[in-house]
Amino acid sequence: MVALSLRGLVTRKLRTALTALAIVLGVGFVAGTYILTDSINKAFDNVFQTANQNTDVSVTPREQFDNAGTSQVPAAVLRQVQSVQGVRLAAGSVSDSAATLYTKDGRDALVRGGAPTILNGESPRALSPLTYAEGSEPSAPDQIAIDKHSASLGDFKLGDTVRVSADGPIRSFRLTGIVRFGDQDSLAGAALAIVQTPVAQQMLKMVGRYNSINVIADSGVTPQQLTDRIRAELPRQLYNVRTGEQQARRDATDLQDQLSFLRTFLLAFAGIALFVGAFLIVNTYSITVAQRMREFALLRMIGASRRQVLRAVLGEAFVVGLGASIIGLLFGAAIAPALRGLFTLFGADLPSQGLVLETRTIIVSLLIGTVVTVVAATGPALRATRVPPIAALQDAASLTRGKTGRLRTPLSSAIALIGIALMCVGLFGGASGGSAAGLIGVGGAVVFIGVGLLASHVVRPLALLVGLPLERARGVPGRLARENATRQPRRTASTSAALMIGVALVAFIAIFAAGLKASIDHAIDDGLRGQLVAETDNFTPLPSTAARSLSQVPGVRTVSSVRFANVQVTGVKSTKAVTGVDPTTVNSVFETRWKQGSPSLLSSLGPGTTVVSKSFADDNDVKVGQTLDLRSPTDQRLAVRVTGVYDDQSGLLADLTLTNTVLATAFNETRDAFMIATTAPGQSSDAIQKLADRTLSAQYPTVKVLTKEGFKNDQAGQIDQLLGLVYVLLSLSVIVSLFGIVNTLVLSIHERTRELGMLRAIGTSRKQVRQIVRYESVITALIGAVLGVVLGAIFAVLVTIPLKDQGFSVSVPVPTLIVLLILAIIAGVIAAVLPARRAAKLDVLRALAYE
Amino acid sequence: MTANSIVTAVDLHRRFGEGEAAVDALDGVSLELPQGDFTAVMGPSGSGKSTLMHILAGLDQPTSGSVVIDGTELANLDDKRLTQLRRDKIGFIFQSFNLLPVLTAEENIVLPLKIAGRAVDEGWLSQLIDTVGLDDRRTHHPSELSGGQQQRVAVARALISKPAVVFADEPTGNLDSTSSNEVLGLLRRSVDELGQTVVMVTHDAHAASVADRVLVLADGRIVHDGVAGTADDVIDLMRTVA
Repeated sequence: MVALSLRGLVTRKLRTALTALAIVLGVGFVAGTYILTDSINKAFDNVFQTANQNTDVSVTPREQFDNAGTSQVPAAVLRQVQSVQGVRLAAGSVSDSAATLYTKDGRDALVRGGAPTILNGESPRALSPLTYAEGSEPSAPDQIAIDKHSASLGDFKLGDTVRVSADGPIRSFRLTGIVRFGDQDSLAGAALAIVQTPVAQQMLKMVGRYNSINVIADSGVTPQQLTDRIRAELPRQLYNVRTGEQQARRDATDLQDQLSFLRTFLLAFAGIALFVGAFLIVNTYSITVAQRMREFALLRMIGASRRQVLRAVLGEAFVVGLGASIIGLLFGAAIAPALRGLFTLFGADLPSQGLVLETRTIIVSLLIGTVVTVVAATGPALRATRVPPIAALQDAASLTRGKTGRLRTPLSSAIALIGIALMCVGLFGGASGGSAAGLIGVGGAVVFIGVGLLASHVVRPLALLVGLPLERARGVPGRLARENATRQPRRTASTSAALMIGVALVAFIAIFAAGLKASIDHAIDDGLRGQLVAETDNFTPLPSTAARSLSQVPGVRTVSSVRFANVQVTGVKSTKAVTGVDPTTVNSVFETRWKQGSPSLLSSLGPGTTVVSKSFADDNDVKVGQTLDLRSPTDQRLAVRVTGVYDDQSGLLADLTLTNTVLATAFNETRDAFMIATTAPGQSSDAIQKLADRTLSAQYPTVKVLTKEGFKNDQAGQIDQLLGLVYVLLSLSVIVSLFGIVNTLVLSIHERTRELGMLRAIGTSRKQVRQIVRYESVITALIGAVLGVVLGAIFAVLVTIPLKDQGFSVSVPVPTLIVLLILAIIAGVIAAVLPARRAAKLDVLRALAYE
Repeated sequence: MTANSIVTAVDLHRRFGEGEAAVDALDGVSLELPQGDFTAVMGPSGSGKSTLMHILAGLDQPTSGSVVIDGTELANLDDKRLTQLRRDKIGFIFQSFNLLPVLTAEENIVLPLKIAGRAVDEGWLSQLIDTVGLDDRRTHHPSELSGGQQQRVAVARALISKPAVVFADEPTGNLDSTSSNEVLGLLRRSVDELGQTVVMVTHDAHAASVADRVLVLADGRIVHDGVAGTADDVIDLMRTVA
């Protein structure tokens, strides 16, 4: 039986290859994701080990609550540590990625594509993980050292002028050293700029404070002993004291936590591709089993048991699945760098040095590919066992016609409804983020299965809808294509269902993103009174002096800056977001709607008061007049009285709003996230924007000043970028489903060999035969696309219902959806290339002789 | 070459395989089929009769020799021209009907015209449908027709384009005797009433007796060429020559 399975694989090479390819792609995606994220982890493990290799004890500020953000260590703590017995050397470390290293001409950032520049205060040699490849450490305030990678990238030589900015204007330095990080030329892709520590503190607006303290122990004192001694000296609530090794491990796990999001994100897309692949396998095996009914009947007639028939089909699936998984695993090693490249392309640079292949990756990849294939083949395999032995003697044609079970339709409807119910539970059931997303995802998958099963009912009308114009335009080939597409509705349905999944997700994302953009536009139009918006182009806070520079631009009247921070509110579980505003100016740049109170509350905001959002008030039963106890990321406590509740749909004002002064003193947040400015009436705000942008960019190259329109486009651009990434990742599923169309067409053509031979004999040209196949493919693809767009729209409407409160408006991007349908037509044409060529090449004589 | 010859073949050879295993399916066959002639090609299995028909119809290429159909030499035609020739000048009837299951009887009949992009002569169509006796079956699909009815559709399909010659490959091979007679009668009438030229490959003596002329092939050569006579004559003939 096994031999028979293998023989079958060899004789049906193309079909096997196409089926396998679907698994190869899916498994490759899974393996590639693991390999990439493992490689990144490994790279950062190395970074953290190198960074801490000379450190015996490390003192870092303790994060006060989830997402509080890190705070800093005052110089007094450094002195305290230095006085601990057994400390040979303790130094404060200053290191911040909110810096920019410029090209030689000083016009552009040297490192692009998401990789940060880290500005470092120079540490004593004994503690430093850096080695000097050329020159030496900066020994004067105007001296700098940079990493070797950046030096060669920017063509910097010792003695050259190097420009760097952090929280303030650009400063020029003389290059005195070129460093390596351990044995690497850069820090996992990031650029390094090393200046004297006081200079770094000054540039980062953290004079008298450090990011951490690194300690070397006297000989005879173990790191652990010294750690214990230092820990005893410092307030436990504020500082983590760890050995260098512990710190390295801690840093690595923190990073892994962050990366796990990336992994989940990518695995979700890999899962979709595999899901689509499963559809394809079910379909392929259904068709081949139907075509081989006589063969199975013959086997049964000569004494094979049902179990043996089952084993023959499943054995074939097992071999295909395992083989494809092995190739997929290898393919994953190729996909990993491609995925990394993709993220770089979309602005996120992920470091990695070499590829890491964990045993886990191998096991998961092989298991998932094989299991998916075998499970998907089980249904068709069971059908193969049900063929009666007598069928071997009957007409083949009567066997291929699938029986439609009476329960099929109600059952499929039930499946689709269960899927929708699952999605609704996820959406409205109040489950937490992760499990809600899981429920929605599983619900969506179940809906796809249900609709895929139901789709056979709509194949005929849909084929008529998309096929009639073809028939009008193309005559007989169009007619035959349509008839062929509807000949076996279930087959066409499941083939197009595979494409439907990818299209539905693309349509869903497109509709969702369009709604998001529309909502943002709406919010900006409604909420923004100012004409200009200033922000940085790399999501870092604005330099603190930028506000003054902007206000000095002629034509700019009022500048109001906005800050963000996180806070813990006593009695409220999760961390809440705080917006900091300038009470004197906020109302001239910003329009708010109020549930209780009025905009004047913002103007009268002071150290002891706050205004809160409607959703925060509703969720936590907070009333006006109530006093909230807040805890800041720097562990300062403050009591604020709630004076009003706003209903802000712009998303600018977060859960709580405080003044910028409070954020500076109690939260140590001195940097502005962005600024809004008004322009003098009667003057062209476009002209002022141009002038302001030019003026600010000259001083702070990362800062841009935008008009309201420009700000909208900028926001839309960010969404589009993410959208692009998601589209690329979804395209793999679409490609898999195209293999499905190819497979179905090839198998159908095989079935219709005789017909094709007759058509050729009575004068159908090769071109017409190709057309028949091509149009059938286009019809199938369009059915999938139409179903997908409809389903995607339904999903989008469903998912955005809970967002209605936050001002989310559904907007249908008609042009995008039309493009999607056109792409489906093109996809259909592409999928038909190979089958059409096969059909046209058919030898007429042999086709006619074929039984 | 006679002036009214529709199909002319000169010294056809067709060799399959090479070297030791080579088989000469046709070994020097020459023939002329005049307009309005009903010719039956007979011979035992492996005699080359199907190969001859395939080559005459432009479905297969001879190893050597020439075929001229209605004035067109086939040897020089590429696939495109051959397709056109089949479409315009040749009608086919197959043993296993070979109708498109997705089309109705009428649609199957006019298929060659549709493929060629030619207009349907409605008068001719209804005359044909009338002749083959399928007036009440026009909109039926092949699966709803009996074997004889399906083959009658196939005959109408072969005649719809008024081809120069109709090739029928064992047209009665899959039919019972009543249906066989219907189909053979149809072919006969197409010759007598419409002046159609028909070539029929068969090994059924009764079928051959409906023809005007019988060619008998054996081992790739024509061993007999004469008038058909009755079925008994044909049976006797086969006994003596093959």
